[in-house]
Amino acid sequence: MLKIRVIPILTFNGFGLVKTKSFAPNPRMVGNAVQAAKVYNSRNVDELVFLDIYASDKKRKMNLQLARLIINECFMPVALGGGIKTIKDIKDLLAIGADKVVLKNKIIEDPEFINIASDIYGNQCITLAIDAIKKEDGKYYLYNRLGKEILLLEFLKKIKSHNFGEIILTSVNNDGMMNGFDIELVSKVEKIINVPIVVSGGAGEPEHFKELFSKTNIEAVAAASIFHFTRYTPRDLKLAIKSVGKPVRIVEEAFIPHN
Amino acid sequence: MTIAIVKYGMGNVASVQKALKKLGYTSIITNNHNEIKQADLILLPGVGSFKKGMENLNESGLVDLLTQEVIVNKKPFLGICLGMQLIALKGTEPEVVNGLGWIDGEVVKIESPKGLRIPHLGWNTVISSTNDEFYSEFNGQDYYFIHSYHFKVANKNEVVLTVPYDGDLVAAVQKNNIHAMQFHPEKSQAFGMQLLKKIIEQYA
Repeated sequence: MLKIRVIPILTFNGFGLVKTKSFAPNPRMVGNAVQAAKVYNSRNVDELVFLDIYASDKKRKMNLQLARLIINECFMPVALGGGIKTIKDIKDLLAIGADKVVLKNKIIEDPEFINIASDIYGNQCITLAIDAIKKEDGKYYLYNRLGKEILLLEFLKKIKSHNFGEIILTSVNNDGMMNGFDIELVSKVEKIINVPIVVSGGAGEPEHFKELFSKTNIEAVAAASIFHFTRYTPRDLKLAIKSVGKPVRIVEEAFIPHN
Repeated sequence: MTIAIVKYGMGNVASVQKALKKLGYTSIITNNHNEIKQADLILLPGVGSFKKGMENLNESGLVDLLTQEVIVNKKPFLGICLGMQLIALKGTEPEVVNGLGWIDGEVVKIESPKGLRIPHLGWNTVISSTNDEFYSEFNGQDYYFIHSYHFKVANKNEVVLTVPYDGDLVAAVQKNNIHAMQFHPEKSQAFGMQLLKKIIEQYA
């Protein structure tokens, strides 16, 4: 049976790991990316996501040297994102061992790029970052720093026929607030999107995971603050998810090479 | 022994080499014909579309070389993900293309009448599909899958592991010196490493 994935997200500002609150531009430093990758690898997490969240703003590419060091620590899949604009960017990230690449601005500027990339690398490695912000009018918009106002659900309906393999759906409002997931948002999006959905934004305690997985039918969840700022590990959250009847992977064994 | 990881521009070569290194095996990432001929085992990794994968193998003149080494000279072969799919007779991603043709069958898009999400993405349990002793110890373990297409193998005797996803998908095939798997052992932590080790060790 396919297991629910619990995925730590590492967000990077060009120097170190940071954690935002509602995507505000004054994130808190939370550590070193390579160290964090090492710890998560030892915890046998299902997957890891590493995003340079300011790459596009600063017009820079992913730091390949650092990304390589992160991947070197990981014997589980890793998704990389930040500043991806060209096929060569994707090629570079896959070549150093990324399993998936995460696209954001590029899909707003040029949705056709999704199909071009998946014709070469397959749709399974093309993940879209969908950052949803609920505004005062009660509607969800696609958050971006390109100065574009885009209604989220309309955007998703338009883009769903494109050839991508997964989305990471983040509630901007709930990001870093640790008050629970935006279930309403997830319910709306899961009706439109047919590929796997990773939900992110708002995890603060195991109860939040129980709520998410008892009220929705998604297969993956991502979190950051709960790992940086609380005593809970991915394993604790998996036990919570298991308690509402969803399958998870609890690993008791580590690999020690004999050679 | 030396393992040749075939370089053909289709991703994940670095991760495979890292896993082999952790197991203590020497490997080279190469598309050099002599190096591939001299290697003790050929490993074909890969992430990407079937068509692009075959195009790249053809461009490097590797199709005939690999067939010569693996089918004629019986050199041990390990295919992973796209590297498993390419040994099929033909693929359909994004259109019908001939594969290496070492194992009868075709690679087609995963269909889920129950409406499960495609790609089949994440950790799923493999079931050993025959009384094959070699693979039976991995029965019930979780491996990492990430694919939208699957290998429909014509001869069921060549399927050694399956994975349930709205019906059974082929997770691994074996035929003489050919071992190939849809999932990523190099990304599947302890049980992935154990499987790689067991396959390679028998030829070391």
